[in-house]
Amino acid sequence: MPLTVNRKKCLKSGQCTYMHSDLFREGEGGWPVILVPDPTDERQRADAEDAIDLCPASAISWEEPKQ
Amino acid sequence: MIPENARALFSPEAASAPYPIYDELRPLSPFPTAIDSEGREGGWCLLRHDDVYGALRDHTVFSSASSLGPGGFRLPLIQDDPPRHMRLRRLVTSAFTPRRVAELQPWIDKLSNELLDKLPQGETEFVADYTVPLPVKVIANLLGIPGEDYLTFKKWTDALISFEPDNLGEKGQDLMAMAAYFGQMAAKRRREPGGDLISALVDAEVEGEKLSETEILGFCVLLLAAGNETTTNLLGNALNILAHRPDLWRQLEADNQLIEPFIEETLRIESPVQRLFRNTLSDVEVNGVTIPAGSFVMPFFGAANRDPEAWDEPNEFRLDRDLHNHVAFGMGIHYCLGSPLARAEAKTTLTNLVRRYRAIEPGSRPGTRQSSPIIYGFRELPLCLTPR
Repeated sequence: MPLTVNRKKCLKSGQCTYMHSDLFREGEGGWPVILVPDPTDERQRADAEDAIDLCPASAISWEEPKQ
Repeated sequence: MIPENARALFSPEAASAPYPIYDELRPLSPFPTAIDSEGREGGWCLLRHDDVYGALRDHTVFSSASSLGPGGFRLPLIQDDPPRHMRLRRLVTSAFTPRRVAELQPWIDKLSNELLDKLPQGETEFVADYTVPLPVKVIANLLGIPGEDYLTFKKWTDALISFEPDNLGEKGQDLMAMAAYFGQMAAKRRREPGGDLISALVDAEVEGEKLSETEILGFCVLLLAAGNETTTNLLGNALNILAHRPDLWRQLEADNQLIEPFIEETLRIESPVQRLFRNTLSDVEVNGVTIPAGSFVMPFFGAANRDPEAWDEPNEFRLDRDLHNHVAFGMGIHYCLGSPLARAEAKTTLTNLVRRYRAIEPGSRPGTRQSSPIIYGFRELPLCLTPR
């Protein structure tokens, strides 16, 4: 499952890009862009889990983006 | 150029009715409010949504680091820049994640119902009876201090945010008592660690060093103050809106799904924190105006949240808005750590109120506003709640 940001929930608070700049960067309009959708190494997967946990909007998850 | 009416932003009237002043001055943003002895402009106000949003997101130019905080306490996080800010935030952020807050939710619900069970029949002063005790008891629980002392905590944090020059002696005593109390609590947790935040703070290391006594105290003060002064005012503002808008009450009654949008719109239209502070680290252009390096800047959240360029009919309360960009919790790296907790406390409160009462009306005397120029909410809010 790829790492996904749900734009309906995302508040653009910037916590993911701040705390985990190896996985997220700030894109157009302040929306987060996922740099590594399928992190394979253990440290990056742990960072992704942390980003999911830290998001104040619960907008990050492991799931297919909804069309 | 200092706008003619700029002083109005800092007048006592602005504490109770800031919005007409914002509307008048917003088109002039950004503007300075003072000129120092060397002719330099200072005290810049940001009132447009674009200006505030941009400044909050650009922490490399708009620094939060400053040495003096409220009541002489230097507060961690809100007065820190990266990389230290990031390391300190990591120490406490796990206590406030949506997952942790969801685990706390049944307990918050129980606390909320206990407070509502104790409300008097007929008229209630809802601030003293509910909006003060709920958030203070919740944050006391997270810190690992007894919630029964909540009236003392409230007195301390009131002293911290108070801007009234009278009672300075009493205020100083309150702040010293607060420092002594948290010093004792930290010492106790060093001897007998628990699963609470104070235990985590006394155990934590940042850059290989333990936090100092002053830093631990700063954290306790920050969390206690941020945990109650803000949520108390969010709840008071929400209830005041509902008491005057029976149509909104009926909408929430008919569809509980509207409670979340109601809370977000309350945050936008009556932001509990009206403004905070930054310092510029370099020259920066905002809306075509250059703010010089070393300037003191005030982003006005309350003005940004009613900017007609950001929202249609910004002074209207509406449940159908896209509120992704409201700045009631700030934005960027300092985005309110406790926002999931504040939202959960507000949602639990409104869910219980709608379930238990069929009407909410203003009491026999009007509510009184806080006199703080920064915190926007009610000191007293008499309400009549009619049980189902």
